[in-house]
Amino acid sequence: MLKSTGIATKEDLEKVIPPKERLARGPVAIIECFERIPCNPCYTSCKRGAIKEFEDINDCPKLDYDICNGCGVCISNCPGLAIFVVDETYSESEALIKLPYEFVPLPKEGDFITGLDRAGKPACRAKVIRVQNSRAQDRTPVVSLAVPREFSMVVRSMSLDDYYSDNTIVCRCEEVTLGEIREYIRKGYTTVDQIKRISRCGMGPCQGRTCTPLIMQEISRATGQSIADLKTPTYRPPTVPIKLGQLTGGENDE
Amino acid sequence: MMNKTADAVIIGGGISGCAIAYNLAKKGMKDIVIVEKEYLCSGATGRCGAGVRMQWGTEMNCKLAKYSIEFFETANEELEYEYDIEFKQGGYLIIAATEKEVNQFRKNIALQNSLGIPSRYITPLEAKEIVPHMDETKILGAAFNPKDGHLNPFHATQAYANAAKRLGVEIMTYTEVTGIDVENGKIKGVQTDKGYISTPVVVNAAGGYSQLIGEMVGVEIPVFSERHQILVTEAVAPMQGPMFMSFSQNIYCQQTPHGSFIMGRGDPNEPRDLRITSSWDFLEEMAKTCIKFLPPLKDLRMVRQWSGLYNMSPDRQPIYGAVKEVDGFYLASGYSGHGFMFGPVTGVVIAETILAEEPTIPVHMLGIDRFEKGELILEPSVV
Repeated sequence: MLKSTGIATKEDLEKVIPPKERLARGPVAIIECFERIPCNPCYTSCKRGAIKEFEDINDCPKLDYDICNGCGVCISNCPGLAIFVVDETYSESEALIKLPYEFVPLPKEGDFITGLDRAGKPACRAKVIRVQNSRAQDRTPVVSLAVPREFSMVVRSMSLDDYYSDNTIVCRCEEVTLGEIREYIRKGYTTVDQIKRISRCGMGPCQGRTCTPLIMQEISRATGQSIADLKTPTYRPPTVPIKLGQLTGGENDE
Repeated sequence: MMNKTADAVIIGGGISGCAIAYNLAKKGMKDIVIVEKEYLCSGATGRCGAGVRMQWGTEMNCKLAKYSIEFFETANEELEYEYDIEFKQGGYLIIAATEKEVNQFRKNIALQNSLGIPSRYITPLEAKEIVPHMDETKILGAAFNPKDGHLNPFHATQAYANAAKRLGVEIMTYTEVTGIDVENGKIKGVQTDKGYISTPVVVNAAGGYSQLIGEMVGVEIPVFSERHQILVTEAVAPMQGPMFMSFSQNIYCQQTPHGSFIMGRGDPNEPRDLRITSSWDFLEEMAKTCIKFLPPLKDLRMVRQWSGLYNMSPDRQPIYGAVKEVDGFYLASGYSGHGFMFGPVTGVVIAETILAEEPTIPVHMLGIDRFEKGELILEPSVV
């Protein structure tokens, strides 16, 4: 799959994501390098010796999670932009992701931007905590993003557009904005069912296909609950809107 | 797990429970707790068609409904609600499709008019003026009351709940009642999955689950729960003012202020348990009836179907008040599909009953003892 899509698969990632216990101890590098090529600057840049010496320069790097302290020097040194540092202990509900970013303009510290997944799809809102762009980075700036913790292994790039701003329409059927959802959550409507009933989000023709995951993300962010623990509303028939005339069996539609 | 003490525990966070709590608090009772097993209006209130009408066939139901609708007219202000309960008074057009119905409606209207309800009997052509897309050739006449209408059940319940909270009522959502303790014939407390609440007063406003709550204190309430189904269409520009309804043809169909049409029908073969699943049969029969009377609606797309529970009483009137077996146990159940529209009056009369005040509307004949005495007044006008 990697060869045809350029996107690492779950199996690929399982080989490089550190165990839970290590992630719980603080920052650590994640080297998402799966292609055998003659390249070893990660090894030479790591002063702690956490990246093991290459037997063959074509090998993929091997990281000793216990030696790595997540300093992030290797990030800018990787020509393939394949190295990230993730700190899952950053805050109560957030993780910090350090990623290489070679586009201009660079974001500013404090900006809210959109975290993208490995396929470039918007994943969540993220706050820019730090932008490192000194000589040490050698024109491969490193951006530190705070993201909801469940996105620590999802976000690997960013868009400067703040898709998750207050003005973003969350529910296209009923034209409800993210700002309105945030307001409901602040007022104590903290389950998808409660928000659906007060705002109509999810009652339109799409039956919540777009808004439900976005609302869950927002509830998770505001309350610190994991998305996996949130209850979804009941999905009801029909899947697609049907004309009443069709229900009687009397008419065909396109 | 938290243990606490309350002056009253109300079981059920639908419109009844929230209205009762609000009225009790307004009358000065402290420490009121509403226990709701899911979220507010997750049961029958949030699943209902949300039409409200004064056009009933018994004096009692007419009075209860009239009181409630007059309350809804000023509820946004009265409850100081920050949103809108979306009350629309487009009337109810109840069509007569049989001679029997024509006679019944004339009787009903005479009764309603005597109670100050402005309903009137109209011809098919007059009916068509009110609902231009109807097929007037299918009806013999109709009853119309311009004061009937529709409102948003979620917002109506929330309006009561928020007002109650401001008066100090505690609302425990996602909390399930697992038992009720009775000692020497008196209510002692309520067990929940979130802790114990000591209280001398329990109100059973559990809608479709009222019989289960009754069993917890050993009181058999003569009700059963019956599934009723409903569907909603996409929203379109306003085209239908009133609720369109027929008892004999088994349909109610209303365009909400939001633009969507909500319609439902009863079915004698519906399961009488606590199932709230959806069936294909309902969609087919509903669409057939709807298109027969309102042909242009055939091009409307339905977006969702769901169902809820009618808590059916033997005479299709509510069961209000105390029970003789257990002191401190009060019923607000058996609405037979009309608990939402009776919400405001339920709140008032149950609060008055609990506080032993002079009732706004005498409801002692709606006590559970009427079934023993055999004093039933059957409501003829139910879908």
